[in-house]
Amino acid sequence: MITLEAVSKIYPGRREAALQEVSLQVPPGEFVYLTGPSGAGKTTLLRLLYGAELATEGRVLVGGTDVSRLPPRRLPSLRRRLGVVFQEFRLLPKQSVFENVALSLRVAGLRGTPLLQRVEEVLEQVKLSDLAQAAAGTLSGGEQQRVALARALAPGPALILADEPTGNLDPDNALMIMRLLVGDYVGGATVVVATHDPTLLSLVRGARVIHLQQGRLEQVA
Amino acid sequence: MSAPASKRGPLSRALMQMREDLWLQGVAISTLTVALAIMGVYLVVAFNLHQSLAHMLGGPSLTLVLAAQASPQRGQELAAELSRVPQVKQARYVDRAEALERFRRQLGPHRRLLDDLQENPLPDTVEVVLAPGIAPGQELMAQLQSRLDVAEVVASRPWLHRLEQAANTAGDLALALGILLFLGVVLMVSNTVRLAVHARRDHLELMALVGATRGYMRRPFLVEAVLQGLAAAALASLVVWALSLVLSAPSKLPLGLQLQQLVTYPRLLPLVLAGLAVLAGLMGGFLGVGRTLRLRGSV
Ligand SMILES: Nc1ncnc2c1ncn2[C@@H]1O[C@H](COP(=O)(O)OP(=O)(O)O)[C@@H](O)[C@H]1O
Ligand SMILES: [Mg+2]
Repeated sequence: MITLEAVSKIYPGRREAALQEVSLQVPPGEFVYLTGPSGAGKTTLLRLLYGAELATEGRVLVGGTDVSRLPPRRLPSLRRRLGVVFQEFRLLPKQSVFENVALSLRVAGLRGTPLLQRVEEVLEQVKLSDLAQAAAGTLSGGEQQRVALARALAPGPALILADEPTGNLDPDNALMIMRLLVGDYVGGATVVVATHDPTLLSLVRGARVIHLQQGRLEQVA
Repeated sequence: MSAPASKRGPLSRALMQMREDLWLQGVAISTLTVALAIMGVYLVVAFNLHQSLAHMLGGPSLTLVLAAQASPQRGQELAAELSRVPQVKQARYVDRAEALERFRRQLGPHRRLLDDLQENPLPDTVEVVLAPGIAPGQELMAQLQSRLDVAEVVASRPWLHRLEQAANTAGDLALALGILLFLGVVLMVSNTVRLAVHARRDHLELMALVGATRGYMRRPFLVEAVLQGLAAAALASLVVWALSLVLSAPSKLPLGLQLQQLVTYPRLLPLVLAGLAVLAGLMGGFLGVGRTLRLRGSV
């Protein structure tokens, strides 16, 4: 599902590489923890995967597509196959929960009853049906993170990238989010969860742990 | 009045985003109204000048005075002959009775002066309108003079040709000015759209991240620009109409000119302005959204 071949990323104006010769393979359906301290390059690695940044060197392949050479006009079709949960929730605070979740379906051209049904289905999964019409900005942190997750899950992506999805959440909410990232909810998708929080690692059994340290892959557990 | 939750085409998305920032709508529509009103005034002036020029240029440029013995039939024949000459746009036989009648009308309140005439002093003539761009030069005059039964060729308005040239130059200048004005409107629209894009950059960045194409993100902005343009065109038409009413109130100008004859409001103006506004909305929308919609990196 994901192949990184000697990928380096140096941000313009930076001397230190954010990622240095990272090589990695993630087969379809695998659950991967991407760990490492703050500043290790976790977000950068995810941003390379959804085409928000270009690798300085090396190749980044997602589902067979070479993202590192992808022209901008091909990005939308790549991103529709991905579900991304951003480090900051990135919701539209004035719009309803329903609209926030529907966004990822609308941009893919879904309309009418199928759209309604799909949004309701996903809201059901993240236990937010009752809040469908509430403005997203009025929800608690845990609820907002579930909206963000629902938006990522709605199109049924083959690859889910979650950047610190439990970032500022209390343990109960964190557990709830992690449960939603495994099993039936994600329908067999490949999942990559970036986190600096080691206590999270015990929540998903059998997950692979990849550790980043100053832009280098330290160990693959 | 939100659209059904499941159905959101570019129009309803445009209306939704327009409602989010009514102040921006106000600014956009009012500046655009001013710009289109200027465009409208320009069009009214250009239209009226064009009308008066066409009127002036439309009269005969040459008058062929016929010999006294020429019959009316010969006059008709001559007019028909001349009509076929390439340099001639139009030739018409005007007999002396018609000429006198016309003279009478032109004298207006002084027409009684003619009542004392014993006989009609005017000759039969053929009035010739030259084709556009043809000067009443020596050669042409001589050629016309040499025809049977032509007693004299009078260049009734020798300046007409130069007026025509001046009018053509002025027409070119006016067209250039019109295009400049239009480009000004386009730039204004594009700036407004740029503002709107900037105001919604978070939303746009998010849409790009979840897989929206450029076109999908651009469409509501184009619709928005066109709607603003139409609203501004309607307002500008009203403004120009009101101005033309004020200006055409009877008032005396020097030289016996009357303003109300110079300023008539062209009926089609609202339609023309609306058409220009739609065009400017689309062009300005494209320009304004332009490269600011980035799919990669952060906005
Ligand atoms: N847009 C950027 N421009 C310049 N440097 C950046 C940018 N984003 C991240 N960095 C740098 O790259 C390194 C890795 O950052 P990041 O990928 O955000 O790490 P993490 O997500 O593991 O905390 C850091 O040193 C950070 O300062
Ligand atoms: Mg990070």
